[in-house]
Amino acid sequence: MSVLLDARHVVKRYDGGDPSTPALAGVDVRLDRGEFVAVMGPSGCGKSTMLTILAGLDRPTDGEVWFDGRRIDRLGETELAKLRRRRIGFVFQSFNLLPTLSVAENVELPLLLVGQRRGTARRTAAALLEDLGVAERRRAAPGRLSGGQQQRVALARALANDPDLVLADEPTGNLDSRSTRDVLGLLRAAHRRGRTLLVATHDARVAAAADRILRMSDGRIVEGRVLGDARPVRLPFDPDPLP
Amino acid sequence: MTATLLRLAFSGIRSRLLSSSLTILLAGAAAATLVLALQVGDTSRDPWQRTFDAANGAHVLALMPTEDQARRLGRLAGVVDAAEPTPMAVKGVRLATGSGSLPLWLAGASEAPTVNAPVGITGTTAPGGGIVLERSLATALRAEVGTRLRLVGPLGRPVSLPVAGTAVVPSQGRYPRVNPGVAWVSPSTLQLLQPDRRDWRWVAGLRLADPDSAGAVAASIVAGAPPGTVIATTWQDQRADVLKDAEPFQLLLTMYAVILLAVGFAVVTILVGARALQQRREIGLLRAVGLTPRQVSGVFVTESAVLGLAGSVVGFGVGTLLAPVLSRATTQSLLGSPTVAADPSDLLVATIPVVLVLVVSSWLSTRRRTRYPVLQAIDAGHPAPPSGAARLLSLVSRSVVLSVGSRTLLAGRARVALLTAAISLTGATFVFALSMQEALAHRPSGAPSDVPTDLPAMVYALDAVLLVVAASALLAVALLAIRERLRDFAVLKTVGFTPRQVAATLVSPFAGLALVAGVVSVPLGLALYVGAYRLAGGDGAVTVASWPALALVPVVTVLVVLVSTVVPARVATRTPAASALRAE
Repeated sequence: MSVLLDARHVVKRYDGGDPSTPALAGVDVRLDRGEFVAVMGPSGCGKSTMLTILAGLDRPTDGEVWFDGRRIDRLGETELAKLRRRRIGFVFQSFNLLPTLSVAENVELPLLLVGQRRGTARRTAAALLEDLGVAERRRAAPGRLSGGQQQRVALARALANDPDLVLADEPTGNLDSRSTRDVLGLLRAAHRRGRTLLVATHDARVAAAADRILRMSDGRIVEGRVLGDARPVRLPFDPDPLP
Repeated sequence: MTATLLRLAFSGIRSRLLSSSLTILLAGAAAATLVLALQVGDTSRDPWQRTFDAANGAHVLALMPTEDQARRLGRLAGVVDAAEPTPMAVKGVRLATGSGSLPLWLAGASEAPTVNAPVGITGTTAPGGGIVLERSLATALRAEVGTRLRLVGPLGRPVSLPVAGTAVVPSQGRYPRVNPGVAWVSPSTLQLLQPDRRDWRWVAGLRLADPDSAGAVAASIVAGAPPGTVIATTWQDQRADVLKDAEPFQLLLTMYAVILLAVGFAVVTILVGARALQQRREIGLLRAVGLTPRQVSGVFVTESAVLGLAGSVVGFGVGTLLAPVLSRATTQSLLGSPTVAADPSDLLVATIPVVLVLVVSSWLSTRRRTRYPVLQAIDAGHPAPPSGAARLLSLVSRSVVLSVGSRTLLAGRARVALLTAAISLTGATFVFALSMQEALAHRPSGAPSDVPTDLPAMVYALDAVLLVVAASALLAVALLAIRERLRDFAVLKTVGFTPRQVAATLVSPFAGLALVAGVVSVPLGLALYVGAYRLAGGDGAVTVASWPALALVPVVTVLVVLVSTVVPARVATRTPAASALRAE
């Protein structure tokens, strides 16, 4: 399989932060095309920072980020925006839907940005929302949806342009177990369609769905483990095991 | 509890320097304008009094049909001094100018009378073989000592006279507001120019033992003569007539004060409302620790009141110092310069409406926001849902950027309405100023303007103040919009908006709003001008600004808005998406 994303010795220090303890202290990540990788680790270990840098939402202090053979950490903001709109989808823990747009308009937004006609974008968004089970709420304001529904809409927005890479930062962190299961099902479906997924999570059920788990601690990747065929993993503390 | 509320209010003021400064600027501008309106007339009282004293002014000045009638007035009870009656031709004498002629009241005296004597400014007050001009008339004619003037009587034979001097009298207001103007010649020249004595009046200046009885004496003089044949004015009438020169200033200043208060209301409502929205969580926490909604509103209201008070004090000082400058034109017909007429009661009169407007606007904008259930307030974070108007606009708009931008802006409908009103009013004052300038430019050639010289300058200065206020308000609102939408901007970047597109989502709706406001400001400004013109006693056709000039107003409005919002927009695009999201 070819390499889609390659981050080499990525370091991130924040202004005013302790220089001896950078948020990322030399991270190396390589994602193959079509791979589903979970990143685990305690809060503050650098998972979110790593995801935002890989998505081009932030810049590393040091190191390199390559996407599909192109170095992206030195690209201008405009170039990065154009790359993201077509090839990288991002899902936030707190959904981050635009509150002044309706559910359908939130999903149409990336489609319109790549030049789709309004009618086509509307139909594509409607189909996506139908697949995700929130079609009946397409005209509602995001604030009126439950957390699980909002995350499905956020996922629909991230998948709208069928990006090569989907980065998800704690996508189930704010959800109940039923919604977690639904969102996880959607991530798996995207993976099955050949999308490359990198998901930061605390949730063992989400991690268990991945091909590979990276463990982070103090800004470093301390362990990388390829999961065997024994998936899905049933954990003793899991209150609502996967089917 | 009061101390706690005050402490919270002061900490709010300190933590928001931009909006606090803007509120003080607004309050100060409105208060200064009000103080100017109140004091601009009074600043000429001292010069008038100086002129009255120097001229041995008449407590009663009467224009009688015959010399004998005028002479008899000196024997009235209470009169302690009466000048030798002076003949004055009130009809038939005209002064030739380059393009026509002007009517003139011509007094004939070989030497100055003992009461209401012309006070010399330049040259001499004894006309000899020349003519002495009242100073404001000389200024309007651009005549100096030595300039030769041509006067024409009813017989049509022109007489050329050199200007022997210029003088002022306390009974004569500024020319051309008081028209015809007054000049003094020798009795023989008067006889030469207007030989028909039926067109003469005899001026009698009377000094009274009790100046307060002037009204009664004047009334008795008028009552003792056939109706319409006698004019008698008291010293109070003379002073009021001279001080009337400040009326156009007062009218315009009052109008601008009202506009500034209206703009202030809009801007403070926006600023305080946005702050209350931004601080919903803090409001929830304050209520959680036991403050009532009324007390929380009280914090915001106290803040506005303190800022309004500070602005009013600053405005009082500025207005008091500027008032004599504005009155300079008034004193063309008087001795000396206008003086500061500080009256502490003016501070009270200016402070009450300013503080009231700020307090009401902040109370209106916070009362609903302090009444959310505590938990809802603490968990706050959801701005307004999409509006119907915004949906319609996005359906019409083919641009995704404009669509997103307008949806964001229209989410705060009340704010948009207030901002549009503030910009429209500012634009309207420019339409007003342009129309005034056009009217002045279109007066008949050679005819002096009865608009005080400093009036257009004052209007443009007030326009500049409004422009600064409106531009600062726009900047503050744009910064508020950024602060409120920082997370949304980060999300837009995440889904693929370029920095330019993100900036455009902020700038383009403001520009659209400015275009609407600019278009609205044209009829609004014209209505304002016509209203003020009629109120000032103008009649006949009104000259307004030309259509090309009016068409420029919306264009300039858009440009000003673009300049005011482009910097905040750049700030918005430069904030890294990750930082904005982390801050959330």
